[in-house]
Amino acid sequence: MNCRDVERSLIEHEKPGAARVPAHVQKHVLTCKRCGEFMRALNPSIMADAPAPEILRRLEDTLTTGLRPVRPLAPARYFYAAFVVIFILIVAAGVYHLGASGISAMSPGQSIAILCALSASAWLLVYSLVHQMAPGSQHRISPTRLPTAVIGLLALLMAGLFQFQPERDFWGSGLACLRAGGPFALLAAVPFWLLLRRGAGLSPRVTGAAAGLLAGLVTTSAQEIYCPILDASHILTWHLGVALLGGSIGLAAGFAGETAGRRLKPAQR
Amino acid sequence: MAPPPSIAALHCWMARYQQADPEALAALIGALSPPLLRFFGTRDLMSREQADDLLKETWLRIHRVRHTYRPGQPVLPWVYAIARRVRVDGYRRTRRIRIDEIATEMLPEPRPRFETRNSLPAFETLVAVLPEAEREVVTMLKAEGLSLKEVARATSCTVGAVKQKASRAYERLRRLLQEEENELP
Repeated sequence: MNCRDVERSLIEHEKPGAARVPAHVQKHVLTCKRCGEFMRALNPSIMADAPAPEILRRLEDTLTTGLRPVRPLAPARYFYAAFVVIFILIVAAGVYHLGASGISAMSPGQSIAILCALSASAWLLVYSLVHQMAPGSQHRISPTRLPTAVIGLLALLMAGLFQFQPERDFWGSGLACLRAGGPFALLAAVPFWLLLRRGAGLSPRVTGAAAGLLAGLVTTSAQEIYCPILDASHILTWHLGVALLGGSIGLAAGFAGETAGRRLKPAQR
Repeated sequence: MAPPPSIAALHCWMARYQQADPEALAALIGALSPPLLRFFGTRDLMSREQADDLLKETWLRIHRVRHTYRPGQPVLPWVYAIARRVRVDGYRRTRRIRIDEIATEMLPEPRPRFETRNSLPAFETLVAVLPEAEREVVTMLKAEGLSLKEVARATSCTVGAVKQKASRAYERLRRLLQEEENELP
């Protein structure tokens, strides 16, 4: 047992109400002056600033005025289902409208890999968004890092699955692809936003980026099924680029919303 | 100081608050305001008035989004997640005002000194020297008595990330205490 073990033990035994540290750690703390001081310094018992009673009374009065019953947020499974259904319906509408020549151009391995990766990415984003709607939810994946990780992993997979080939009309075919698929991202963004409004996204930037990316992935998925061009640079720029653009627009919208919200004084809200 | 309310009592008050029971609202305000004020760190990080403002804003925001609390879910992470957001917004707002008034970031930041030399520094003074993310984790764990899982929920992090922040914070605090001790005559 050394001083580093005390810190490790402190972290491992962070449970309110339970015995904070095991006996062998307590024994070390009793004999080691530095650890003893460290443990005493972390004891916040001397803090006792209480709010003024008149502030609490005023708060009660303000909040009690017009207090109405509210219906708690629906269970998370309903939101999962809603996001997934919207995603699938709009991708299906895209495929119905544009066709599925991309699937026949790809090998079965490529089709399975790309569709599984897109489904998994969309699912992770849905999971993150549903958890962001209710403050204090448990996140198994950091919501801040998820959008970047999704884009990065999809880019790596696409670059690995498809070959970089010289394309004759990179801009022309790319813009045509974007024009065909782009509207589906906009179409998905609206119901996603309506669903998210029901919750309380505490970090509009993070929520905006994830929602924008999810809407962009609707287009990416439809384009993967529809577009027969298998050049990696085309797929990365014009298919995955839409998802990246969606995420960036969501991030910017969230940032604008956050800044506008902060500029308002609490009394104005 | 009043004893902290039980988890069951908090659940019950939250459910009744959602049903527009003013007594439950009063009970929640009474029970949660002192720890929230402590969370905002009144002594070393901001003035008492600023902390009171943040407390009021937190309750207004809690009131606005009270429907997002799902009965049966832990109350404290829900409350602290909202309070944390209010604190971040308040900090950014204050910083913007300060930057507008004077380019404070151009000024060199003095190394924090603990007030007491012969005794240990107060918890708030001690954690005030930590970076924001580490400070809030240590405050929630040590001052508010939240578990690692609850802190993870309140900060939208994974439990692993909370452990990492706590570990870094403890290491930094130990080093600071050591330096203070070495500088004693």
